[in-house]
Amino acid sequence: MAPPTAYLASVGTCLPGDPVDNATLAKLVGVDETWAEMFTGNISRYLAVDLATGQIRHSLADIATTAADRALAEAGLEPGDVDCVVLGTATPDHLMPATVNLVADRLGVDNVPTYQLQSGCAGAVQALDVARTLLLAGRCTTALVIGGDVCAKHLQTDFDPGSRTSAELVNYVLFGDGAGAAVLSTEARGQGIEIRQVLNRLVGLGREPGQVIDWFGLGDRHSDRTAVFEDYKAIEASVPVMAGQMFWELLDDLGWSADAVDFLLPPQLSGRMSDRISAGMPAPEARRVNVVRTVGNNGNALPFLQLAELLRQWDGPGRAVAVAIESSKWIKSGIALERS
Amino acid sequence: MTEREPIAVVGLDCRFPGARNAQEYWSLLMDGRDGTDRVPEQRWDADRYYAAASAAPQSAREARPRGRSNSVRGGFIADPDAFDPGFFGIAPREATAMDPQQRLLLQCSWRAIEDAALAPQDLAGTETGVFVGVMANEWAYLQLADYDRITARYGSGNGYFMGANRVSYHLDLKGPSLAVDTACSSSLVAVHLAVNALRAKECDHALAAGTNLIMTPVINIFYAQAGLSAPDGRCKPFSASADGIGRAEGVAVLVLRRLSDALADRQPVYAVLKETGINQDGRSNGITAPNRWAQQRLIESVWRRAGVTADDIRFVEAHGTGTLLGDFIEAQALGELTSGRGSGSVALGSVKSNFGHAEGAAGIAGLIKAVLALHHRTVPPSRFADDENPKLDLSGRRLSLLRSPLKLPSGTVHAAVSSFGMGGSNAHAVLGSAPHAVHHSRHAAPGVFTLSARTPERLRANLLAQADALSRRPGSQLAQLCWTSNRVKSRLPHRAAVAAGDLPTLVAGLRKAAERAEGTARVDGGRRGVPSVAFAFTGQGAQHPRMTASWYRSCPAYARHLDEIDTLLAPHTGVSVRDQVLDADAEVQGARLAQPALFAVEYAMAATLTEAGIRPSYVIGHSIGEFAAACAAGALDVADAARLVARRGALMEKLPKDGGMLSVSLGATEVEPLLVGRARLGVAAVNGRRSTVIAGDLDELAAVEKELAERKVSVRRLTVSHAFHSPLMRPVVEEFRRECADVSDRRPALPVFSTVYGRELSGEETMDAAYWARQITEPVRFAEAAGALLATGVTHVVEIGPRAVLTPLLSTLRAEGDHAVSLHSAHPGEHAPGHRPQELFGELWCAGLTPDWDLLYDAADRVPRRLPPYLFDESFRSWRSGAAPGHPEPSTPSVPLGADTAAVPSGADRGESCPPAPAGAPPDPLAVLTRRLVCRVGGHDPQHVHDHDRLHEDLGFDSIRVMELKTRIEDALPQLGSLPIEDLLASLRTVADLVAYLRGQLPHGSATPLPMTMEGTR
Repeated sequence: MAPPTAYLASVGTCLPGDPVDNATLAKLVGVDETWAEMFTGNISRYLAVDLATGQIRHSLADIATTAADRALAEAGLEPGDVDCVVLGTATPDHLMPATVNLVADRLGVDNVPTYQLQSGCAGAVQALDVARTLLLAGRCTTALVIGGDVCAKHLQTDFDPGSRTSAELVNYVLFGDGAGAAVLSTEARGQGIEIRQVLNRLVGLGREPGQVIDWFGLGDRHSDRTAVFEDYKAIEASVPVMAGQMFWELLDDLGWSADAVDFLLPPQLSGRMSDRISAGMPAPEARRVNVVRTVGNNGNALPFLQLAELLRQWDGPGRAVAVAIESSKWIKSGIALERS
Repeated sequence: MTEREPIAVVGLDCRFPGARNAQEYWSLLMDGRDGTDRVPEQRWDADRYYAAASAAPQSAREARPRGRSNSVRGGFIADPDAFDPGFFGIAPREATAMDPQQRLLLQCSWRAIEDAALAPQDLAGTETGVFVGVMANEWAYLQLADYDRITARYGSGNGYFMGANRVSYHLDLKGPSLAVDTACSSSLVAVHLAVNALRAKECDHALAAGTNLIMTPVINIFYAQAGLSAPDGRCKPFSASADGIGRAEGVAVLVLRRLSDALADRQPVYAVLKETGINQDGRSNGITAPNRWAQQRLIESVWRRAGVTADDIRFVEAHGTGTLLGDFIEAQALGELTSGRGSGSVALGSVKSNFGHAEGAAGIAGLIKAVLALHHRTVPPSRFADDENPKLDLSGRRLSLLRSPLKLPSGTVHAAVSSFGMGGSNAHAVLGSAPHAVHHSRHAAPGVFTLSARTPERLRANLLAQADALSRRPGSQLAQLCWTSNRVKSRLPHRAAVAAGDLPTLVAGLRKAAERAEGTARVDGGRRGVPSVAFAFTGQGAQHPRMTASWYRSCPAYARHLDEIDTLLAPHTGVSVRDQVLDADAEVQGARLAQPALFAVEYAMAATLTEAGIRPSYVIGHSIGEFAAACAAGALDVADAARLVARRGALMEKLPKDGGMLSVSLGATEVEPLLVGRARLGVAAVNGRRSTVIAGDLDELAAVEKELAERKVSVRRLTVSHAFHSPLMRPVVEEFRRECADVSDRRPALPVFSTVYGRELSGEETMDAAYWARQITEPVRFAEAAGALLATGVTHVVEIGPRAVLTPLLSTLRAEGDHAVSLHSAHPGEHAPGHRPQELFGELWCAGLTPDWDLLYDAADRVPRRLPPYLFDESFRSWRSGAAPGHPEPSTPSVPLGADTAAVPSGADRGESCPPAPAGAPPDPLAVLTRRLVCRVGGHDPQHVHDHDRLHEDLGFDSIRVMELKTRIEDALPQLGSLPIEDLLASLRTVADLVAYLRGQLPHGSATPLPMTMEGTR
């Protein structure tokens, strides 16, 4: 029997509430509207918290469930068809129980292997990697892969904007909340797109983390550690290089040439930076799929939002390559898709 | 339809030992729990009929003592005595005379239909079939043993046939309706007959059911005497420890349809029945002995017809009673087929391991287990599987008992279910997993969730149940869940509606509604007749930027109507009024565009509501609102109206902006003197007894304002561009009259309450050029016109416009005139929520109207989704304990002769207690007596009988009971003489009607009817 093939059957997404534009953010958080746009290039984002009241309206489990339900509906599958669930997130609702299992419960999925990957921007690709591996190994036939983040925990809505540094304020402008999901199948469901390759490489040896999100409990809740830290300089310097390397590694693996790539899904950091990285990447003829400018950096959801946009634009045969770089302890990752 | 069309299982409900519903049944199975228990005291005194088998019996007699069972355990369902008679319009006395199996079947049927995302009321009148498998008639032993106590009700309360027929009667189902008794295979045979009836198109929906209640120890004793009874009361199928049968109860209903119909309706499908079959052992090795060859032949033929082989079947839900012989024969018969499997094994199990043998409901218990397994794609484990009987050689037959759940692969999966009857009637079914269907939902579409119940208390309980269930659903299904609630749960008299744009808000709203539920009134409030609706169209001044933009976004029908009217207006306005409105263009505030814009949104709103079935019986319009009103009444062609309003606005725009309007809290007659000598002022509107608007020249207006301020009369300047309805408008009148000249003056199709005339248009009057010309300068006589409207007895007024302007005026008029009209504003103003159309529909429905909900949803969201079924009232209880004839149970209180209640709550005969008098009023002796007699005949709790209760529908009075009531009334009120029965039947609907009728029959001067008879005195 020939080894199975892993297909991308469908993608579903969920962005909570109405988009929050820079003007609204400026009003509620006190950042300067022009500065916000100039610095990040992002024009809107979606938030699980109601900035005006500070009320948290959606949990990660809420939006991940919705995204997953949409992906299943899109694939024409029922929860009972799912035989494995993998979720990647940097911001689980709890450390225990894992959010993936709360999502499974909400969907009505039971008696299947589930995995949750603690991960940053490469998490979606890692989750796809785990799912595809299970499919190819013949362990599963229908995998539900989810990625999402909710940064409500890190958004203080009752502070004096004047007291914040611009490094702190930029987080408000940069990040957003969202979730995405994909159904992977050994059957050529949906648009018949084959997942040809998924790669993940930790490249953090000896490198300082470029991004840290801390967590606190009863014992250290009064500690003065920074909850969120980003080394923008290091990110700006390293991400384009790693993105290029990952792109070529995928192509070499598959024996593809750069001019045969129809779509490129570059790493999504901020609207401005993604445009720059995107422009600097190989395969200039490949159509770029960038979404961060309007949805904000919602971490593990981003690759799914890019995939959803890709499916809208893509018809007929062709090839697509997606690259995601995680700047915490530095991971480069990528996916190659093909429809014949 | 193909020749062997698969039959879809679309809905189900069940009660089994340890499981009150399908969800609990599934967790019982997955957890491998034991549902058995000691015989509840309510059934019979277990010890009294128990004798342990002797360890070393000297004789057969000693091994099986006569009249005794060897077990005190079994599988019993919880609360079999609870029932909601009022829900089905059954009198409590009738309910106590009904076999509890009938009661439980009724409730399960209702819930199963709701589970199919159908409203039981939508099946009413259709040829839906009812097939009930039943073998226990233990009620008859108990109820009919004493001939002297047999009353008229006993005929309908007893008998297998009534189990099915009662469901058909109360749900008004007109297809085949029959009870099936083939002993333990009854319910799977019932399913087989239902499948055939669906395939033969005898019906389009079928309820296939099974029921078994253990009311006496008769069969327990029989099993014990026959050596078939397990001492621990548990079936241990295919286990080395198998030692006989434990009895169990169960009530379950499946809703079945042809698969193609279900898919066409986008109905959720649990699983499909590919093929079913039945046969008989014939003259086998003893009438009660199972027959291997007959079983094998049946399974073979059903598999062949289903087009499956042992390689396709993933699991078999076996009959599996746990008798050594039965298990052996079944394993042999099945093994003959499964041993030919290419690889792997067929999973084998029997739900009897969880709670015992449910006899008449056994087949359906196994079938539901298989259906749920295919739905969840997981086969539950079998209890006692870790102690497999090695003599059965299951592995050699490629059969395997499941010790842990088996996850099924994706794609089509098949399963089989067996059920065999003691007399040799065998049944078998092959099932397949449901086909996949793609249903996309519209992103972030809002909805309105509607829930109704028979009483406020049930409304609360059901709201909370829905909130709990919805809080666990994906947010993307919001609109679909709401649409389903509209379709399934919107027909009962106590109502709550919650509109929301996201699921967490909906859940919170339902919980809040539950807190208020106790206070909800019956939707018809006991009123008779059909509701009548008036549309009241708002006038100028109500416009605001982006008015009704939320309607455009969230209600597809409104968007369509606004687009249409925009197309008609565009040639006359030169711009898209729709775009101006939606883009919040400031120009919409000026007279030129404000008038067409208001007309457009009002026209689109009215058209939307009308399309939704909220049709006006009357219209009224304030000022510019009369144009849309005239269109709604059919008095003005919409294209003409579009041209006229555009022209009217343009003409007025050209007038100098030297006028203003002043609202004063004085009556019109008090205003008149102020206008004397002020030629450029006039009364522009009379909105109420103390609400008048003056309009005209700004300087003169300022003088009046000053004068009134000195008199401390409260006044308010209106923000308007011009002094409408004032002498300043005269210059445009003639030109507008010419503009109107070619307007066809049609007679309105509806009563129009003209605010030009301050009254209803009379027979010959039309809204012609003269009318519209006059309308410009005449005062708006709203108060008079609206007063006349309210005097018609209209039940609902909906203000059509972008702001609530007329609603408060109408509210004042309502209070002054003491009208019972319900007032609604279609769009209360800028602060209305984004899902206002949804909210409005909910509001109108709560007020007793019936909108067509489909209009609120995109086609993609009109997908039925399962919601938890109705939770019935469980306060009524009635049961009869299983004493042997002539040996009353010592634990049961003796029942007085003639009282056919065994256990009505609070013990007392309800008719004896005094019904409550209406608060604040002195008790009307005739009403008190009538209600007492009604309660006495029906056995109702007087606390729950109200004047507006309908004798037939609410209190369950059939002709037998009406006769009984007639006799009681004649005894109590001898001065009436004999009441003609046809009068009683024809003129009586409610309790209040009966009181009124009796009052009319009483001779004058005997208004107080009482001599209290024996019944009335304590």
